[in-house]
Amino acid sequence: MVLATVPVEYYLLLSAAVFCIGLFGILTRRNALVFLMSVELMLNAANINLVAFAFYWENLTGQVFVLFTMALAAAEVAIGIGIILVLYRNFNDVDVTEATTLKW
Amino acid sequence: MTTRPELHRETNKLIGVLALGLFGVLAAVFLTSGFGTAEGFETGAITSSIGYAMFNLDAGSIDSEGFLVSFILIALVLDAALDGSIMLAKEDEEEDY
Amino acid sequence: MEGVFQFAPAIAALPFVSFLVALLAGKYMPKKGALAGILATGISLGLSLVVLAVVLSGHTYNETLYTFVDAGEPFSLTFGLLIDQLSALMLVIVSLIAFLVHVFSLGYMNDEGEMGLPRYYASLGLFTASMLAFVFSDNLLMAFIFFELVGLCSYLLIGFWFRRDAPPSAAKKAFLVTRFGDYFFLIGVVGVLATFGTAQFAGSEGFPALAEAALGAGETFYGFGAETWFSILGLLVLGGALGKSAQFPFHTWLPDAMEGPTPVSALIHAATMVAAGVYLIARMYGFYALLPTVLAIIAFIGAFTALFAATMGVVKNEIKQVLAYSTISQYGYMMLALGAGSYVAAVFHLTTHAFFKALLFLGAGSVIIAMHHNENMWDMGGLKDEMRVTYLTFLAGSLALAGIFPFAGFWSKDEVLFDTLVVGLETPLLLVAYVMALGAVFLTGFYTLRMVMLTFHGKPRTDTAENPHGVRWNVKFPLVVLGVLAVVAGFINMVPVEKLTGANVSFLSGYLADAPDEFLTSSAHYGELLETYAGYESGVLAGSEPLTVLLGGGLALALALAGAGLGVVLYRADEPTRHTEKLGGLHTLLMNNYYQDEYQVWLAEGLTARVARAADTFDQGVIDGVVNAVSSVSLFSGDRLRRIQTGVVTNYAAIITLSLLALIVVFAVLGGWF
Repeated sequence: MVLATVPVEYYLLLSAAVFCIGLFGILTRRNALVFLMSVELMLNAANINLVAFAFYWENLTGQVFVLFTMALAAAEVAIGIGIILVLYRNFNDVDVTEATTLKW
Repeated sequence: MTTRPELHRETNKLIGVLALGLFGVLAAVFLTSGFGTAEGFETGAITSSIGYAMFNLDAGSIDSEGFLVSFILIALVLDAALDGSIMLAKEDEEEDY
Repeated sequence: MEGVFQFAPAIAALPFVSFLVALLAGKYMPKKGALAGILATGISLGLSLVVLAVVLSGHTYNETLYTFVDAGEPFSLTFGLLIDQLSALMLVIVSLIAFLVHVFSLGYMNDEGEMGLPRYYASLGLFTASMLAFVFSDNLLMAFIFFELVGLCSYLLIGFWFRRDAPPSAAKKAFLVTRFGDYFFLIGVVGVLATFGTAQFAGSEGFPALAEAALGAGETFYGFGAETWFSILGLLVLGGALGKSAQFPFHTWLPDAMEGPTPVSALIHAATMVAAGVYLIARMYGFYALLPTVLAIIAFIGAFTALFAATMGVVKNEIKQVLAYSTISQYGYMMLALGAGSYVAAVFHLTTHAFFKALLFLGAGSVIIAMHHNENMWDMGGLKDEMRVTYLTFLAGSLALAGIFPFAGFWSKDEVLFDTLVVGLETPLLLVAYVMALGAVFLTGFYTLRMVMLTFHGKPRTDTAENPHGVRWNVKFPLVVLGVLAVVAGFINMVPVEKLTGANVSFLSGYLADAPDEFLTSSAHYGELLETYAGYESGVLAGSEPLTVLLGGGLALALALAGAGLGVVLYRADEPTRHTEKLGGLHTLLMNNYYQDEYQVWLAEGLTARVARAADTFDQGVIDGVVNAVSSVSLFSGDRLRRIQTGVVTNYAAIITLSLLALIVVFAVLGGWF
């Protein structure tokens, strides 16, 4: 039995919305940890997109891929926290706008 | 000491217009493109099937062997990430040779 | 005997070897390189005499020894020897005077204890080698190369005593003024090569022959008619000749060149280097004979310079200065002869002038040694008793210069004047030049005898003049040799005697007419060219040639005697008065050389420097400015663009987002997503 489904455009819209919220956070927030959280949001938006299309094309590959990305996102956050720790050690501040030596 | 939550007003919010702009464009593209009906999945419990497949039991309703490789890779990657973050978090030690 | 021509390059190569020996080993040699020079020039002299003998017996030589650029290309550049009558004669003259000057230098430089003699003998050797190679060059480019080398050696030798103030300055002036003329010469050489594809002098593939053919065929070059274009080329090459032969307006360097040692003045600035200009025109006479306009210009420049320099020589007080202006004046005569179509007279006067002018300079050198290097004639006097040999030879040279019968100068100058007169009778324009030359004859006699009287006659005016420093055999030997030549050299071409008595005594004319037909360098061939193209014909006074000879010769001799007599009379007293100062304003004008030096300095500083400065401003402001502006655009934009890298991560993210947004919009619009 095929349930009455939500049209796929709305899933995409949801995914876009979550992505742009994450992007907003990256563009405007100064705390490194909040920066990292916004990056997570963007990753998950991509996951929603993947799942929606897996459902659309009836292909489980999409869902498997999502499992991969979730695990990798977790790993990446682990490394990211480590980097923020080193950042704090060098610049004595977690403000991303303070660490500006990589420039001209 | 804790203070009540306050709206974050320090940063320049103008730059966030870019994010809103991007959302607008994406929404416009998605809503005007014509998708047909979704095909949906078969009914059945995928997660129990994954569990059965993991223990090599044959009781799952859906064919879900393909999910298993992801678990192994997840395990490896998480392990590596844990080691990496611990290494980054360590202080620089004096090494005596 | 033709095999001697294989050794002909040694005539120039041997002095070059002596240059190297003096340069590298001179300081170890007893006479500091003099003996190498004397040996080399002696052997060159011997070889030149042998070559002359062979040429007299009828053999000549025109060979290319080395080809830089092959024929068949737009032009061919070669190195070769041309030994015909003219060059054989000149080789003997140059090597003889070089030899005598080398011997004289033993007395002038070595015995006086001068320093830096290896450099002196090396420069002399290089000069001799270059001049000899210039004489036997067979094409214009090779002649130009050695022309320049000769100028370089002149610079080195004038500035020999470079630790004093005047000599280096005089050397620079000589080099720059001659270089200015040589610039036109170079353009002329390039023009000749571009027009004819070859710069050879002799033969039917030489450029004079090609020019004659082009003129006859009526070809045009670069939009000009053949005669106009060739006149332009001729005038360009003439620039170099005028510079080297110190004709107006390039004469200013020669009096200053007297700062060099006197043997150098004798060799270079009397007999050889300044002869190079006249020799060049004579060598290319087959080309110049086609161009009546250029010939007229040469004649006028020559006659004018003769008169102009003679006026300046009248008032000078230093013995070498008088001789310098005399040199300028006499080369004016040679140019006049060439311009009037008298090739033989020009070569004749070149020969006799080389001998008596070198003699006069060497005599002056002897006097200068005696006077402990004081050149002022007013400090001399009464030297004839103490310095018999010098006096007698100097007197012989002066009488030759003044043109008194029967010394050498009489015959050659008389022939120049006679030929100008007879051509001028048919072409009246040349009569003006003739009158100017006659004026110069009078003045020449005057200043020459003035010089002799002031130096040798009267009572000694200073102590040094009473007890002059003695001179040895190495000074007297060259003087005697040249003295004899100054007396007898005129007898090689006694044209008046031939015209009056019909005896066959004009040996030089016959010799120069003997050049082989295939060379096209004989005076007979030039005569034909002159009649056909330049329209020079001989006229006669009162209808008979002997009468013309007598009248012309008599007039010249009378003027010479008058001038000489005036000089003797005015300056024979024991304590002569300074008569020339009575001329007042004219005297000041002449002493200042008609302000030509100041004029040329103004040309350089006031005119050329200003133009150069304006050009420099244009170059730096406009051309450099454009280049700098282009680079500054790059620098400025780079400076502004790098400020995008603020180092703030959120900025980078913003830029990425912006770019992504822009890309999607562009794709959407172009791809028609809506």
